[in-house]
Amino acid sequence: MKTLRRIALYTGLTIAALTFIYPFLWMASATFKPLSEVGTIALFPSHATLDNYRTMWARAPFGRALLNSMFVAGTITISVLVFGSITAYSMARLRFRGRPVLNAATMGVLLVPGQLTLIPMYTLIVQFGWVDTYAALIVPYLFNATAILMMRQFFLQIPQSLIDSARMDGMGEMRILFTIFWPLSRPVLSIVAIFTFMGSWNEVLWPLLVVREQHLMTLPQLLTVFSLGGGAGSIGVSLASAMVLVVPVVIAYAILQRNFIESMASSGVKG
Amino acid sequence: MRAERRSGSLMAAPYAAFLAVFALYPILFALVLVFLKWDLVTTPVFAGFDNVRVLANDGRFWRAVENTFVFLSIHLPLQIASALALALALNRPLMFRSFWRAAFFLPVVISGAVVAILWSNLYATDVGLINGLLVRVGLNPVPWLTDPSTAMPAIAAMVTWKNVGFYVIIYLAGLQYIPRSCKEAIEIEGATTWQRFRYLTLPMLLPQTILVVTLSTINGFQLFIEPYVMTGGGPLRRTYSIVLYLYTNAFAYQKMGYAATIGVALALIIGTVVLIQRRVIGKAEAL
Amino acid sequence: MPSVHFDHVSKRFGATTVVEDFSLDVEDGELLVLVGGSGSGKTTILRMLAGLEEVTEGTIRIDDRDVTALPPRDRDVAMVFQDYGLYPHMTVRENLSLGLRLRKVARTEIDRRVAWAADMLRLEPLLDRKPKQLSGGQQQRVAMGRAMVREPLVFLFDEPLSNLDAGLRAQMRIEIGGLQRRLMTTTVYVTHDQVEAMTLGDRIVVLADGRIQQIGKPIELYRSPVNRFVAGFVGTPPMNFVDGNVAQKNGSISFTSDGIDFPFLSERRASDVPSGSVTLGIRPEDMTVDVLDAQSDGPTRGLQGRVVLVERLGGTSHIHFDAGPHRLLAAVSNDRLPEVGDAISVRLHSERIHLFVGDRRISSVI
Repeated sequence: MKTLRRIALYTGLTIAALTFIYPFLWMASATFKPLSEVGTIALFPSHATLDNYRTMWARAPFGRALLNSMFVAGTITISVLVFGSITAYSMARLRFRGRPVLNAATMGVLLVPGQLTLIPMYTLIVQFGWVDTYAALIVPYLFNATAILMMRQFFLQIPQSLIDSARMDGMGEMRILFTIFWPLSRPVLSIVAIFTFMGSWNEVLWPLLVVREQHLMTLPQLLTVFSLGGGAGSIGVSLASAMVLVVPVVIAYAILQRNFIESMASSGVKG
Repeated sequence: MRAERRSGSLMAAPYAAFLAVFALYPILFALVLVFLKWDLVTTPVFAGFDNVRVLANDGRFWRAVENTFVFLSIHLPLQIASALALALALNRPLMFRSFWRAAFFLPVVISGAVVAILWSNLYATDVGLINGLLVRVGLNPVPWLTDPSTAMPAIAAMVTWKNVGFYVIIYLAGLQYIPRSCKEAIEIEGATTWQRFRYLTLPMLLPQTILVVTLSTINGFQLFIEPYVMTGGGPLRRTYSIVLYLYTNAFAYQKMGYAATIGVALALIIGTVVLIQRRVIGKAEAL
Repeated sequence: MPSVHFDHVSKRFGATTVVEDFSLDVEDGELLVLVGGSGSGKTTILRMLAGLEEVTEGTIRIDDRDVTALPPRDRDVAMVFQDYGLYPHMTVRENLSLGLRLRKVARTEIDRRVAWAADMLRLEPLLDRKPKQLSGGQQQRVAMGRAMVREPLVFLFDEPLSNLDAGLRAQMRIEIGGLQRRLMTTTVYVTHDQVEAMTLGDRIVVLADGRIQQIGKPIELYRSPVNRFVAGFVGTPPMNFVDGNVAQKNGSISFTSDGIDFPFLSERRASDVPSGSVTLGIRPEDMTVDVLDAQSDGPTRGLQGRVVLVERLGGTSHIHFDAGPHRLLAAVSNDRLPEVGDAISVRLHSERIHLFVGDRRISSVI
């Protein structure tokens, strides 16, 4: 009876796991299939080909989009970590006028759905003359309220005596943050880094609004425009372009899956 | 300390400026835009309550709202049930637990655009993987995304599939909080597996369920990339979403005032629905 | 010239005053203990001296230099924290040397000082470990080492022993005292534990509600507390207090409370004693207890009492007894101890009796 149950449990888990993994495997294999074979369920193409990748690469600037995505997501992540932690440190550990207001404002911002501010933000970018610039993709994301609150929460738990010791040792506040707090805050910093990078890497709506030039598009945007605009022409090509977006993430996920799961779950941000 | 106050203000100043420009100003300006007609090129025109009046009678908008409720009525129960079932399965002594968890979570980290493109192919009527499986077991193929009655359910199922791993983690955390003494106590009372679930596990997971309902509701109201990529809002506008409509007004029609009005209305709807949900779930708990 | 000089220093947080009009000289090479309960302001005073807390009013001078407005790093003081404040991600060696590195002290000099401190504190085998791998006592010694290598003008200790268990606390107390006497560095030491204060301090400052109650050598505080607070705070078990009246008859004096006469052992000079309502204070160790045999009768010269509890501690024992409505405590080292319920006669050593009028002690009594 008990063994039967266990068999049922593992069978169920295997089927569930396959539902989540198989589509991606099928997608990967489809990109190597010639047009005639794409519709089949078989995982291994009988005539493997790189044609889909060649076509995809030739028709749209995916290399450039990959670099754009890495640049945009990388810059945003570094900014959210560096400037965000500076802000979080001051909000957690320094007394200054206006701190309670800043705390309350940060909480309040989180309650407002992004769609409310989407259009005003867009008009702002237009008025700044930032349409079709990296600034439009990066500047509105330089700070992240969720990240600041998470880091602040973590910083609050670091003992005051460490700050006092560091001040007695002659450190300034910036030095305390980067030489004492950062090494102690690796868990929260890695969580923030992952969810910030992933959020930016997967974002589509905002780039669709503020970028129209192909050579400035990030990967998910170019992928969307390319697939929808009929540029792909075939399923294989369209899926091949999706692979450019997926492969780096899957590699990172395979290595850091625990951190990924923790960070996405603790931030409430989904790709 | 004086020095402390000075460094504090200095360190917080960039963020305060950022908040003012990229959070407070847009929130306030959204409320201003509601009363404007503006195409971003000519000077804005004051329009009074025109935008609100038009929105109230805009069949397309209300169709999108209706679509969202159709989406939620399928997505919410499916999301809760699947997340709970998988979390309960994972909450046992298991071999390869972290592998199962990682497998369920995989779609969460993949871009929504990719998932939408992938599933348009899986759902494809003639060459799609799903219909291929159906045909193989002797069933008729279903025109998933082209039939008005199946398109939204198909999208809802896909979104459930994409996000379930995220909610599994939330439920797993909740399950770990149930004290062992409670489980042992109810076992000594002689409860069956179902009774244990019904009278201990489910009520103890209420906070997680509220979170799942809230987050997936907000998520559902923000539906965009899936219909944008998979159906373009069709067939017969049955998958048109509110954000898609907002985006179209801003991007295709250059109606900033109207798009902002949709945004404000969306925020109000989300707030109202989430509040009502909390009330209802809170009442259910009291029963 | 005093090493540290507080001149009318006050500290307020908003409307609440934490330290009020605090003036004090700490002599060169002295170990001065600030002792008081929570909320007495002792830690705030120390943190103001360290530069970690702003001074609201008044000035602080170190070595005749006004440091009131200086940041901690420019004050030439080093501090040992209650929870040690060791950097968890650095080795013991790095913890010891960081302050010197930041001050751009020469490499060889840093190595020399670290070696010296490690030797004095027996830290050599631990130098490459992280704080987490050390016991509480070892962490404590690292924290002291970090202060020592700085070779500061003043050491500051903020309740350094309160995170240790009782046995280790006694041992570290001896170590700190010994170290300070060897280094002869001016030290300000904050504690809530009066035993620690009494055993360590060259002088003690007793604080309550942000004000100085008394400054003096340990024995002075014990023998001549200026008020009821100090009298009750210093010494374990604490002093007994009885409210009553003093009367003078025929040149001799007596103290009565609730109709009970507290006889004095010796005749006192009548002119010194106030008359009227006073509080009598007597330390438990300044009483002698005699057990009354059942057959003995007639008046005795002592205070009559009945034993309610006997705590046998080995060397000394605590006898709780009732004298009329008063519950008093005597500490005795008799071999023959009374049993609960026994009638006893207690003699108060009159040269050790303290009399308080209101809150102040009448110092002329002794």
